[in-house]
Amino acid sequence: MKILLMEDDKLLRSLLVKKLTSAGYEMIAACDGQEGLELMRSDSPQLILLDIIMPRKSGFEVIKEMKKDENLKDIPIIIVSNSGQPVEIGKAKEMGVKDWIIKTEFSTQDVLDKVRKIETEISN
Amino acid sequence: MDFEQNSQEASAKTFFEENAGEIKKWKDEEFRKIRLALFNILEDTEEARKEAVREKNRTLTMLNNLTDGILVLDSSHRIELINPLAEAFFKKDKKEFLGKNIFKISSPRFILTPFFQALKSGKRGKIKNILQKEVRLGEKIFVEVSTVFLGEENESKGVLIILHDVSRDKLVETMKTEFVSIAAHQLRTPLSAIKWTIRMLLDGDIGAISEDQKSLLEKTYESNERMIGLINDLLNVTRIEEGRFLYKPEISQIEDLTDKIIKNSEGPLAMKKIKIKLEKPRELLPSVLVDEEKMGLAIQNLLENAIKYTSEKGLITVSLQKEKNYILFKIKDTGVGIPLDQQDRIFTKFFRGSNVVKMETDGSGLGLYTTKNIIEAHNGKIWFESEEGKGTLFCFTLPIFDKNN
Repeated sequence: MKILLMEDDKLLRSLLVKKLTSAGYEMIAACDGQEGLELMRSDSPQLILLDIIMPRKSGFEVIKEMKKDENLKDIPIIIVSNSGQPVEIGKAKEMGVKDWIIKTEFSTQDVLDKVRKIETEISN
Repeated sequence: MDFEQNSQEASAKTFFEENAGEIKKWKDEEFRKIRLALFNILEDTEEARKEAVREKNRTLTMLNNLTDGILVLDSSHRIELINPLAEAFFKKDKKEFLGKNIFKISSPRFILTPFFQALKSGKRGKIKNILQKEVRLGEKIFVEVSTVFLGEENESKGVLIILHDVSRDKLVETMKTEFVSIAAHQLRTPLSAIKWTIRMLLDGDIGAISEDQKSLLEKTYESNERMIGLINDLLNVTRIEEGRFLYKPEISQIEDLTDKIIKNSEGPLAMKKIKIKLEKPRELLPSVLVDEEKMGLAIQNLLENAIKYTSEKGLITVSLQKEKNYILFKIKDTGVGIPLDQQDRIFTKFFRGSNVVKMETDGSGLGLYTTKNIIEAHNGKIWFESEEGKGTLFCFTLPIFDKNN
């Protein structure tokens, strides 16, 4: 499965790419929302891992643009962010986001587990 | 008889003829008095009229200079009064309002939506009932609309509609939320990078590590977790102080929540060989309306303290019981207790007991402050009894959920 990761922190990005690549996933990574949207259109990923606070375009702006685009609106999204106020999580769930992972509360292993869960859901 | 009557009339006639002068004088005097009295009445009326005008002007000046928009309707919902600020909210001249029925006011009707809803709801207080609702006008203007029904329930004397500009409050609120959100992000990003890295090293994702390396990394991981916990505590305090800590109250069973929290603490309990006893009635306790995440945090803070400050092989007793219209939660430990001279500061932000500071336990001093705020936000009460060296008992109450209320 091809996964697009949007994360502006270089270290976090490389850790997640390493973890998921060694679990057998094909990873593409963007360092902001704008680049992410471009990669989404050119590389057609099957799952999005999305940070919220990013330069150029925030995670919420990315979701809004995806929802307007017929080709992108159904790609499942997992938010991996350090913001995580209940209001924001509620808003994201309303926008159809699959899951919200707060970075300090979870590990890369947890992200991998959630990715596997959604992969099973998609294939069923 | 006839003769008698005739003679009386004759004598009266003579009397008037003889005293004509005196009578005229008396009549003139009476007329003068009446005229004077009338003048006085007229003068008083004029004074009262002037006073009424003065009073009216004063009221109008006050209404016109109020920082809130005001609309007054009579009992048949015709607009009797509208002040300049209300005109400004509607962006229309008062001529378009006065005397008209409020239901016939065309756009922008949405400002009045809260009023229509209040009217439809049929809610009436005995004297007044303020129903508030925020309306968004344009990009950055928020108006709080209050509807006050005047008069008794069966004798309406009209309605007062108050439009209060809350844009500034909203702006400050948004700025605070943004600040917390940014601070959380800035502080948490490096901590999560450390966490992820160490976890991956420990899990062998980067390659095999020696036992010594593993042990050192585990300690570093724990320190980092404490730092994350501290930042979470600080964020919770910020949220409490912003008054928007409770998010989603749901009907819940307090025993389920308690079971879950106890289960989560099995590790630390086993490590210190502390026994835990949960006492609850056989029958199901009534439901409570709580924000499960926050109430979980409150119970967890109490349990964590009990574990932290109880020595090895101690005992913690948690009990749940139903009292009149509330649930009583108790947690009793056989720990170090709280020194008597510090008991009044126990719920203060950043406070830590002098005896526990000396122990090898870490803490932010925010746990009980947060817990108290959570309990009180749920309309509960919290208190404790403690004796240094013997142990502490914390109790809190939660109102039983009443679906009619």
